[in-house]
Amino acid sequence: MVGYLSKKLLLTLPTLLLVSAVVFVLIRLVPGDPAQVMLGDAADPSQLARLRHDLGLDQPIPVQFALWLGHALHGDLGRSISNGQPVLALVFQRFQVSAGIVLAAIVIATAVAVVAGLVAAWRQGGAVDLAIVSGATLLLSVPSFWLGLLLLLLFGVKLGWLPFVGYVPVTQNLWQGLAYLVLPVATLAITEAGVLTRMMRSSALDVMGLEYVTHARAKGLPESRVLLRHVLPNAFGPTWTLVGLVLGHLLGGIAVIETVFTLPGLGRLMVDSILARDYPVVQGCLLFTALVYVLVNLVVDLCYPIFDPRITAR
Amino acid sequence: MGGRSMRGRFRRLAAGLLALGVAAGAAGAPARAASVLRGRLNADILSTDPGTKRDENTDAVLLHVVEGLVAFREDASVGPMLAQSWDVSRDGLTYTFHLRRGVRFHNGAPMTAAEVVWSLDRYLDPKTHWRCLSEFDGHGQTRIVKVQALDPATVAIQLDKPSILFLKTLARADCGETAILSPASVSAKGAWIRPIGTGPFMFTTWRPNEYVELTRYRGYAALPGPRDGNAGGKHALVDKVRFLVIPDGSAAEGALLSGAIDVLDGVSPSNLADLRASRGVRLDAHSTMDIYALIFQTRDPVMRDARLRRALALAIDDIGLTRVVTQKTAQANSALVPTSSAFHVGVQAQVVRPDLAKARALVAASGYRGQPITLITNRRYPQMFDSAVLIQAMAKTIGVDIRIQALDWAAELDRYNHGAYQAMTFAYSARLDPSQNYGAVIGAKTSQPNKVWDDPFAKALLKASTATADVAQRQALFDQLHQRMLAQAPLVVLYNPSHVAAVRDGVVGFRTWSTVQQRLWDVSVR
Repeated sequence: MVGYLSKKLLLTLPTLLLVSAVVFVLIRLVPGDPAQVMLGDAADPSQLARLRHDLGLDQPIPVQFALWLGHALHGDLGRSISNGQPVLALVFQRFQVSAGIVLAAIVIATAVAVVAGLVAAWRQGGAVDLAIVSGATLLLSVPSFWLGLLLLLLFGVKLGWLPFVGYVPVTQNLWQGLAYLVLPVATLAITEAGVLTRMMRSSALDVMGLEYVTHARAKGLPESRVLLRHVLPNAFGPTWTLVGLVLGHLLGGIAVIETVFTLPGLGRLMVDSILARDYPVVQGCLLFTALVYVLVNLVVDLCYPIFDPRITAR
Repeated sequence: MGGRSMRGRFRRLAAGLLALGVAAGAAGAPARAASVLRGRLNADILSTDPGTKRDENTDAVLLHVVEGLVAFREDASVGPMLAQSWDVSRDGLTYTFHLRRGVRFHNGAPMTAAEVVWSLDRYLDPKTHWRCLSEFDGHGQTRIVKVQALDPATVAIQLDKPSILFLKTLARADCGETAILSPASVSAKGAWIRPIGTGPFMFTTWRPNEYVELTRYRGYAALPGPRDGNAGGKHALVDKVRFLVIPDGSAAEGALLSGAIDVLDGVSPSNLADLRASRGVRLDAHSTMDIYALIFQTRDPVMRDARLRRALALAIDDIGLTRVVTQKTAQANSALVPTSSAFHVGVQAQVVRPDLAKARALVAASGYRGQPITLITNRRYPQMFDSAVLIQAMAKTIGVDIRIQALDWAAELDRYNHGAYQAMTFAYSARLDPSQNYGAVIGAKTSQPNKVWDDPFAKALLKASTATADVAQRQALFDQLHQRMLAQAPLVVLYNPSHVAAVRDGVVGFRTWSTVQQRLWDVSVR
């Protein structure tokens, strides 16, 4: 297990190096630079040249990359060009916001999807199945920003039950913090539940057609036991893989949700930084996102034996 | 014994209940809640150091906290702020500022000539990265040779050549109003800590990407008279001002309607219809000095022909375009001199009307053969994109084929700075003197590729306009420049957008003005 883990972690290093090199070059190939964005239309060439020099942007890209990499290996991802804050601290701070929402939403979405998918598969072809499949398809089709705005208008403006904009960390004020998280978590959970439900239904149907399920029923086991003991554990594997992929993807940033609900998360940081051509922050965010993606998938891999003992982490 | 004990217990209980009642009463007494006025920023501020790492949001917030020697009035003239008055030497090289007495910084220290000299010296140090340094280090209009304290209430600034824009540049919001700061704003090693200024509000909290909070400065020394632009009598009428960062326009609109914010500044025209129909909200609009324009690259093989550029100018129904794009909040303007400027009279006030017959004749004379012309625009500023779409349709009526290319703002800015475009819808930020507006577009393209109008005679007229303070003379020069611009059509000015704000009914005293900068002083909330 330890050897497997070490091997997997070592393999992430070339991936991260490649990601940082590609991101470093790509962001610099995009037209526009932070000096221009900062100075706007009133910039004159001498001002631009001076600011580019101060930011180190007048050096060749390989030199800039070597400098950045040297610092990154010492745990220093630089400072934001826009506001001077240390990138690493900024990324961690913003990640906490995104991670809280994403984890809560995925737990809820997975719980809903497992139940709904299993029931739909059990009642295949019936009214319940049709309702669940239609509902899941509808949720899949609804853009998250639209749903978010709709929920905001209903619960924030019309009913006034939940706060409309802002963010309070739960560590600062638990109840107030939770109130601010209800709508973004609900929006994300609703939109992600659709795809997970369909996956769960599909794999449950596959499992229900297997001989051992027929055998279990022939033995006279109650239907609830057949579903929970024999179908669920075997059908959950593919859904779990999808949960891992979705989780990795969402932890990298939920920019749309964060923009609609004005949450200071990682996704919004990344979008703002790209628009402002804040190179160090873009690099820091993407490197961190890649790392999170790799780690989440590693955890998913390590959890497989729990659901399917035939798979072992060797 | 038992009776006494019971009575004693009862007394103690009664005394305890009484004490509890008094305490509860005290706790329940109507303590005055702090009044909070909540505004909106569409993006977070970039720093707390005025005039350095900045954008419009940063300027707007920090000008509640800091003040300069002079400030802009509503009519774009310069008025006193921390300087009570000033004298200019006959040769125009020395400005002597007489400071107001009784002004104190937020840390209680008095504002004297020493702090003025310290602040200006700090701004003139290249390490500070002051945005306006190039205006005063010899690259721009003049060079500040020396800043000297003549006595505790008098400061002299010596220039190497006279400049009629000197005071206006000091007062610019993007220069941080050349804020006079307490040296306690920086550490012993010179690192920036936070702004300790003289404004009506003190800087208290910045939670990045959440909000910025300012607190009323009770020791503020207000000028007499009413609020006047960034000058005049400023008063903090609420205990706290909180600027919430809400990037999304629809979310911001919802925040206003739900009461999460009191003032929604910078309403997009696309949200106006909803807000007009909303109860409990009123709109306030004011024409700004920003300029929306269609600019051409006069070195491009197709666009170098002035007849084709003029044809496009004559194909554009400016009044109709402005009405549609701005949702009737702005007026068309064909001049680089903004409508709110005192120089916007006579020929400047005449909007160019479409003349399709003449435009078609000019197209034919130019030898244009239907080559597609790429018009660059962006979606960050919806008015620029909408203008591009309408211009494309209008150009089609005279047989000119325009193809729209939408870039992100940073990429468009890059193309603008390199002169790498054929045509572009662009917005120039407010410049408070017509010479600065013309200065933004006139110049030699070889050394300044971002200049739109490379014409030596126009450059000479511009230089003359900065060398005289005589209003009539300057008006004549601007009129000449305007007519020459219409003839050569290096750009087509479309309009000065209005700055629109939506405020809840309980908000008293909020008013937009000719810049996009929101002011929450002299504003109270019921």
